[in-house]
Amino acid sequence: MSGHHSSSYKLLLSVAGALLALTVLTVVVHYMYIPEPYSIIIAVVIAVFKAALVALFFMNLYWDSRFNTMLFITAFVFLTLLVGITLLDVLSRDVPVPSF
Amino acid sequence: MANHSTTTPAHLLHHYVDSDQQFDAAKLGMWIFIVTETLMFGGLFGAYIVYRVLYPELFTLASEELDTIMGSINTVVLIGSSLTVALAIKSAQVNNKRNIIINLAITLALACVFMIIKYFEYTHKFELGIFPGVYYEYGGIDHPQAHIFFSIYYMMTGLHGIHITIGIGLMIWLLVKASKNEFHSGYYTPVEIVGLYWHLVDIIWIFLFPLFYLID
Repeated sequence: MSGHHSSSYKLLLSVAGALLALTVLTVVVHYMYIPEPYSIIIAVVIAVFKAALVALFFMNLYWDSRFNTMLFITAFVFLTLLVGITLLDVLSRDVPVPSF
Repeated sequence: MANHSTTTPAHLLHHYVDSDQQFDAAKLGMWIFIVTETLMFGGLFGAYIVYRVLYPELFTLASEELDTIMGSINTVVLIGSSLTVALAIKSAQVNNKRNIIINLAITLALACVFMIIKYFEYTHKFELGIFPGVYYEYGGIDHPQAHIFFSIYYMMTGLHGIHITIGIGLMIWLLVKASKNEFHSGYYTPVEIVGLYWHLVDIIWIFLFPLFYLID
């Protein structure tokens, strides 16, 4: 087990700097008014990248037992199932939910 | 048996072999909790996705009522607080007890700043009559389902705000323990576990920010 990982100050500050830079980037991209499908894709890709930085280097998954990473990924597998099957239902109806 | 107790650290519970096993068990438990948290917020993200697919134009219209500047400031505030939590853990690992307290105190302050900004955002909407669900009475958005956007907005940012508030309580608890010199390089499990919680809350906001504030 490699439970006690100690990151250098340089690494922690670099990760925070990268997160701030990506925040600026996502706001700048927003004000460029890119057309619909692409703007969402870009925003979500940047968010996923930021979340990965936090999970890997602040939550130490990069050095941690792989079992914890597997648990975290499993959550997203089941989340994909939840959203995917829900969308299959909703999108195959003419009137999705009456009065909603 | 008698000489065993002299080598056992005070924090080590009797059913663990050693400190490392206790530490890893605590982290495993926290990661399982994070899975349940991900799925709880996941249900709300599911609601968001379904209604955004059904009414894409509603989300672009209604998002104009959200203040992008305030949302951006709160994103920076939370990233800063994630850094200070990580620095508090680092301080514990190098036995710098003063820096544990300083970094936890900055994290606590940033968490309060986040909630104050959220308070101003919410009260501004309440003044306009933007309430969740059936209490919605704002006429400024030309869409019959405008209340749905704000119901999802209040549920997601509200649940996230509750997590920040719990985090404020946890930071105070850690500060009390740190001021009693309970944390050192051999034992800082509560700081590590609260740190994992705080980073999770940060990750959730990383998704909430572009999905609500950056679509107008």
